[in-house]
Amino acid sequence: MSIFIDQNTKVCVQGITGKEGSFWTKHMIELGTQVLCGVTPGKEGQFIEGKPVYNSVKAAVEHHGIDASMLFVPPRLTKDAVMEALDAGIKKIVTIADGIPLHDMVLIRQAAKEHNAFVVGGNTSGVISPKLAMMGSFPHWIERVYKKGNIGVMTRSGSLTNEVTAMIVEAGYGVSTLIGVGGDPVPGTRFAEFLPLYEADKETEAIVIIGELGGTMEEEVADAIKEGILTKPLVAFLGGRTAPKGQKMGHAGAIISGGKGSVEDKITALTEVGALVAERPRLVGKLLEKLNVAKK
Amino acid sequence: MKLYEYQAKDVFKEAGITIPNSVLIEKPEEIENALAKVGTPCVVKSQVLSGGRGKAGLVKFTKTEAEAKSEVIRLFNHDLKIKKIMIEEAVNIEKEIYVSITVDPYLGKGLLIVSAEGGIDIETLAVTQPEKIIKEPIDLRYGLMPFQASRIAYSLNQPKVVTKALIKLFLNLYKVFRKYDAELVEINPLFITKDLEVVAGDGKLMIDDNSMFRQSEFDKIQTDYKTVAEFEAAEEGIPFIQFDGDIGLMCAGAGLTTTVYDLIHYEGGTIANYLEFGGPHYKKAVKAMEICLKVPSKVILIVTFGTIARADVMAEGIVDAIQRLKPDRPIVTCIRGTNELEAVKILKAAGLEPLFDTEEAVRTAVRIAQGGSQ
Repeated sequence: MSIFIDQNTKVCVQGITGKEGSFWTKHMIELGTQVLCGVTPGKEGQFIEGKPVYNSVKAAVEHHGIDASMLFVPPRLTKDAVMEALDAGIKKIVTIADGIPLHDMVLIRQAAKEHNAFVVGGNTSGVISPKLAMMGSFPHWIERVYKKGNIGVMTRSGSLTNEVTAMIVEAGYGVSTLIGVGGDPVPGTRFAEFLPLYEADKETEAIVIIGELGGTMEEEVADAIKEGILTKPLVAFLGGRTAPKGQKMGHAGAIISGGKGSVEDKITALTEVGALVAERPRLVGKLLEKLNVAKK
Repeated sequence: MKLYEYQAKDVFKEAGITIPNSVLIEKPEEIENALAKVGTPCVVKSQVLSGGRGKAGLVKFTKTEAEAKSEVIRLFNHDLKIKKIMIEEAVNIEKEIYVSITVDPYLGKGLLIVSAEGGIDIETLAVTQPEKIIKEPIDLRYGLMPFQASRIAYSLNQPKVVTKALIKLFLNLYKVFRKYDAELVEINPLFITKDLEVVAGDGKLMIDDNSMFRQSEFDKIQTDYKTVAEFEAAEEGIPFIQFDGDIGLMCAGAGLTTTVYDLIHYEGGTIANYLEFGGPHYKKAVKAMEICLKVPSKVILIVTFGTIARADVMAEGIVDAIQRLKPDRPIVTCIRGTNELEAVKILKAAGLEPLFDTEEAVRTAVRIAQGGSQ
């Protein structure tokens, strides 16, 4: 088991004919992802990695019964590409683009909610269930990071995720599904919105969130624990404890505003509901042990 | 990108929002002409991007021409190297209101924020008297609806002519918010004059950096830069902050760089600069190191763990940078991620001793900064 994506998820790749699109399509297939086709307007008839390319997502869905779309589309075209996938009835969409206009993301999030769909990203590496499948740009072959196991990971970062996940693996654990919600101020889907999926997943025995200063996503996770939406153990690592106040440092979403979003606030909110917060990446594994999470 | 007050007010004026009469001057001698047009009393307003101008003495109310002139001379000689000063007519104020439109990330909607308590720090008010702040979510698909603007305006209990003007102002400000892809558009204070006019006393407009490609009318670079390094980083679009400590950070990935920043503090070290050359900048190692070398520091610490930002490509860039720039200080490297084994080979071949563990790299840099050996 895993959440969001596994070897049975039928994936199409929007922007498959681009450089990043074709490169990562190859690696997604290599891991075991069922990439059935791609979409690039005007390129119908071509094949990438042996998969047919269509002019529209609608055609891809008609031919292959697609249920998830992976976007390798530039930021300025992302809104249109997401709307096309939603219009074709796709409920799982991942966009890695870094630099999507803020107002476009607001419109994307509103549309996704209306369609009861998950849009993951932008500004993310995507979603991976190690050894099963991925939608995104993960070097899944690095075994000291992408090892299969029982820890559900959610993150706002890319490189920091590799850093922390390597430490989870070093401690003897592995990952069920890792979701990068992205580093932008308005992600398509927020941490707390994935918690019901992790809670229901038999394979996931504990959650690690990798957050940072700014925003309220970590506080929303604390609220979900308080409300009983998540009952599994949770460990957090939060970057920016010593960041200077009022300085824009880290991701676009990482500023302290409206008196909210400092790392101290997040630590208080999380520890009040029984979650543990690691001071350093290396301590995440130790805290999982402290919460008696089995190593699988 | 943050606009100057005068730029924001130009945008407001174009959108039908009333602003006070003003003249922008760039030299002290232009004050005569400005005073002839604006008259006294007037407000002398330095055009700088930092907030809290009033408290910092950068905005002054002056009663006489002589007072205005001496204030202008003082400000043009200020350490901040002020380039433009706005001479603005003093408005006959009856009441001050706060108005802004921003994006609420939690709701995933626009948010109109209004408070009858204007001219103050809204963040302080949000903590002390949150009930005095009106927040109206806006569905960007439909925009701010007239009924929303009207409901809020009427709730402020102003004379009818003011209420009508406020409704128009809210709707016009929303047009600015959308047209300019604003992160924030704010009028604080919004004056209600004794003549019952509604006038923007200040103007703040922050354009979303990701939307600059469709907001070409403004120069991308206009922040006041304190150092050459800051300017060069901004020109390249590389996130950079200069501090006055010992260790120059040249890392990739916003979250990882922030974490390394924390780890250095835990180990008792200090930071000379924050530089993040991940994402679209991962092939710019030469430029990144050139910027780091312009900052006084005792050691440069390079930490990466990239996916798309491949380790081998970054290692090649770093070796190239070292060969070209011949750095005058030690470099500590910790390069991991996609193709990390090739990266280690590349770094070793160039005579470096690559580390593979972030905490070890941080401790090494702190040790060197404190006078120890590599």
